[in-house]
Amino acid sequence: MTASLTIENLRLEYPDALLFDDIHLSVQPGSLIVFETNVLDGATSLLKGIGGMLSNIDGHVWLNDIDLLRADAHQRARHVGFVYEEHGLISLYNVFQNIGLPLEFHTNLLADEMASKVFNIVDRLRIDRELLDKQPHELNDVQTRMVNLARALIIEPNLLLIDELEGGMPDDMIDWTMEMLLERTRATKSVTLITSSHEHILREADRVLKIENCQLSERQT
Amino acid sequence: MNLSDHDQDQPGYHGLTLLGPFKLMINPLASIVSTILELIGLISVALSASRLLLNKKRRQIFLSLFFRQIYNTGVRALYINGAVAIFIGALLISRLFDYLPQQVFSEQFGYFFMVVVFRELGPLISGIILIARSATAVTAEIGYLRLRREFQVLNGLGISPVFLFLLPVFFAFPLSLLLMFIYFDLVVFLSSYAVIWLSDPSADFVVLLLSILDQISLNEIAINAVKALLGGMMIGVISIHFGAKVEDSFSEVSDAISNSTTTQLMVFFIINILLSLLAYTQ
Repeated sequence: MTASLTIENLRLEYPDALLFDDIHLSVQPGSLIVFETNVLDGATSLLKGIGGMLSNIDGHVWLNDIDLLRADAHQRARHVGFVYEEHGLISLYNVFQNIGLPLEFHTNLLADEMASKVFNIVDRLRIDRELLDKQPHELNDVQTRMVNLARALIIEPNLLLIDELEGGMPDDMIDWTMEMLLERTRATKSVTLITSSHEHILREADRVLKIENCQLSERQT
Repeated sequence: MNLSDHDQDQPGYHGLTLLGPFKLMINPLASIVSTILELIGLISVALSASRLLLNKKRRQIFLSLFFRQIYNTGVRALYINGAVAIFIGALLISRLFDYLPQQVFSEQFGYFFMVVVFRELGPLISGIILIARSATAVTAEIGYLRLRREFQVLNGLGISPVFLFLLPVFFAFPLSLLLMFIYFDLVVFLSSYAVIWLSDPSADFVVLLLSILDQISLNEIAINAVKALLGGMMIGVISIHFGAKVEDSFSEVSDAISNSTTTQLMVFFIINILLSLLAYTQ
């Protein structure tokens, strides 16, 4: 997998506010980019917009030769993984089923093969296997986010979008998670975009972009 | 009296113009028409999503959700359905025993059971139990999922919420209702027999059963099946429709349950009455 991301003329507007206008961004394969966030600056919407999850958006988001804003949901889901800051799990299913959900729907893997992939990703992210039988409401915020991350990574996405990874995490957990993400991004030559305001995350990024006046501007790292 | 801008902004203000009363009549009508159109849309979406069942893997996922729904809706409702059926069976027969001469009673039992229980009470009470017990739960569940933005998450995962939530309800509700009809009729018969047997231990179980079966034609069975399929489908679709209208606040879930229950009762009664009128009016 080698993935490059190119954003052209991105405009994101709600009925009562213009969030982003004429955004251009080019990201090389194997890059980890952080959008430095402030309260209510629209970073989450930008991330969802880039992932093709919003309808009130114009422009182009090219992931290799796929325009994510015009791709169908099935095609997007095979290439983009999204990690929600809160919730994001399906309460109909337990943790194991939530992590395996994209494989269940988008691959023809057998149950054993799926289970092996789930255990593999769970171990990589140091998620306690005892959590696998639990329901989403039994998890705390950090566990919920790690399960979200596991579900996003299980499809081996070309583009990984993470909304505020750090909330409630101890620093050492942030450090090893970032180390793992950076390693993966380099090894797979994929693209990882994270919104964050945490110094430990900002310092690991290849580039840090700030949101100002409906635009993105580069911050030197 | 002068009305300020503030007064005119108040909810429910329709203006003291000729259009005021007209709007009062038109608004509810427009809302009903819009709901009917949306329900038709939802049914066509469900039918169109059914083609996903041609895929083996999707069919397996669907079946696990479908059986979960059948269990929650049809099987777990049996105790309340059974309890109501026991009371109705015992009450009806003990009353009849008091009023009818025994000769007339034994001759007319089958006909009476078919007309009152099989045709009308069975479908009606089973439908009310389905609405009160399961449909409200589905509306609340869908509303809660909407509040937690789980539909958005599913869309992000490339998974259709229609497939995961609408389709199992769309197919499981009619089948559950049909099971509830059959179970209700059976329990009413058994409790009726128990009451008869207490009064007259020589009453023959098989004779009474045959007197009912003699009265039930294929036409009767077909009408009941249509009541179950159409009624169950509409109850399920209405639950999903109102649950999916929830946006941001928890009070919208209560509104959704209240509106869907009212609509379901109305629609289910109308379906029952219309089908009975069409089928049984000479």
